[in-house]
Amino acid sequence: MWEKIANVDRRVIYALMILVIALALLNPIGMAIVPSQATIDAYNYIEAMPNGSIVWLGMEFSSGGVTELIPAAQAIIRQGFKKDFKFVCAGMWQQAGDMAEMAFSIVEKEFPDKQYGVDWVNIGYKPGGEVLLPALINDVNEAAKGIDHRQNQLSSLPLMSQFKTIKDADLIIIFCTGTPGEQQYIKHVTGPLNIPLIESAISVSVPGIMPFVQSGQIKALIAGMKGAAEYEALVGVPGPAMAGMDAQSFSHGLILLFMILGNIGYYATRNKKG
Amino acid sequence: MKKEVPLAICFIVALIYIVSNYFTGVEFLATMKDLLDKWYLSVDAIVVAIGMVNLAQIHGRRVANKREGWLFSLWLMLCMFGMFFVSIFWFKGTTHVGWNFMYKMIISPMNATVYSTLVFYIGSAAYRSFRIRSMEAGILLVVAFIMMLGRVPLGAMLLGGNQAFATAADWLLRVPNSAGMRGIQIGAALGGIATALRIMLGIERGYLGGTGE
Repeated sequence: MWEKIANVDRRVIYALMILVIALALLNPIGMAIVPSQATIDAYNYIEAMPNGSIVWLGMEFSSGGVTELIPAAQAIIRQGFKKDFKFVCAGMWQQAGDMAEMAFSIVEKEFPDKQYGVDWVNIGYKPGGEVLLPALINDVNEAAKGIDHRQNQLSSLPLMSQFKTIKDADLIIIFCTGTPGEQQYIKHVTGPLNIPLIESAISVSVPGIMPFVQSGQIKALIAGMKGAAEYEALVGVPGPAMAGMDAQSFSHGLILLFMILGNIGYYATRNKKG
Repeated sequence: MKKEVPLAICFIVALIYIVSNYFTGVEFLATMKDLLDKWYLSVDAIVVAIGMVNLAQIHGRRVANKREGWLFSLWLMLCMFGMFFVSIFWFKGTTHVGWNFMYKMIISPMNATVYSTLVFYIGSAAYRSFRIRSMEAGILLVVAFIMMLGRVPLGAMLLGGNQAFATAADWLLRVPNSAGMRGIQIGAALGGIATALRIMLGIERGYLGGTGE
């Protein structure tokens, strides 16, 4: 029996994982979300920005990061629209434009007075990787080749008359799953221009980002789906991240259970062999 | 001259780029940096084409010789060239409904699927690898326990609402992790600088082709 516990077939683990995640998503028990200090710091920083600030949203991720990053983006946009923020979105990742549309698609309906081109603009993906960032410092219109994600002329959008270069941003918030990401923004934009930077990142990236948070180069970090769920709680509008925390909790619980069983099986069989 | 000219170009261009990053406000350097950034964009686009040729050579040979997994290579080439030719000659841009379908309905969900499957691999790998075979492995297991419980509400639920796991996970991230990560990042940066200097000074010549002799 101990042999079996020490060597459970991986397909059993996969099947149980699917079952646990599906059950938690279909029947959420609504575990209490207590915001961490890091998320509170991000919320307070944005809340302290003057009404009407222009905020750059760097959508530096693709569909793989949707589950963890879109909820944070939606919660921030909600908070920002309440404070009459203007948002300009773009990204170095190919799906940046689609991700911005996805983030705004739901929130836009909650704020019918907010208009595309006046309150937010989606420049979308522009090629070049990190070289795009210095180009945005010189001239956003030129760097974006004059058109946004929806194929509008940027010069025809009222918001862009106030936003000529990325220097016009009062705050930069980026949503990242990897490279290019925060290091490129710190190197080219937020470091030299002294513009505050807030980041929402997927959980696996968090350990690598912590030194930048400690050094103050990133003012606050919304870490993974947990951070997004905490942000939703702070903004007061429950969303997909809060709904997903039960599934994440139970999947972690299952992995921990298997780790314990694996060790019990390992020690039992090891003593037997000895 | 075949080697001296490219090495000289590499040295001069690298020098201009480095100096322009450290001495801002000089008109000539700023103009040169902008120009080099634009060239980089062109080179970046050409690299994609080179990548396609390289992939076609490798996988084309595998298909021609019917080596193990040749069907996957054939599928890769069909998808790569299919999307390439259809995008250029039929869709003629990223606004076409067909291009949007291919990108949003095929590539995008596949991207999300690949990422989602990680949870299964991580679960299985954690079960197999977190065995207390030594003291170091034991420490790793304890840290994994704290992190996994501290990063989800389950940890607080098990302790009746106490945030001890979350606090401990936060400390682990901020203190030992940051110290380790900073060391790795500084090391990697120094390694990057050393490699860049070797290329700039012509010690490392692999990019010219040949063995650098």
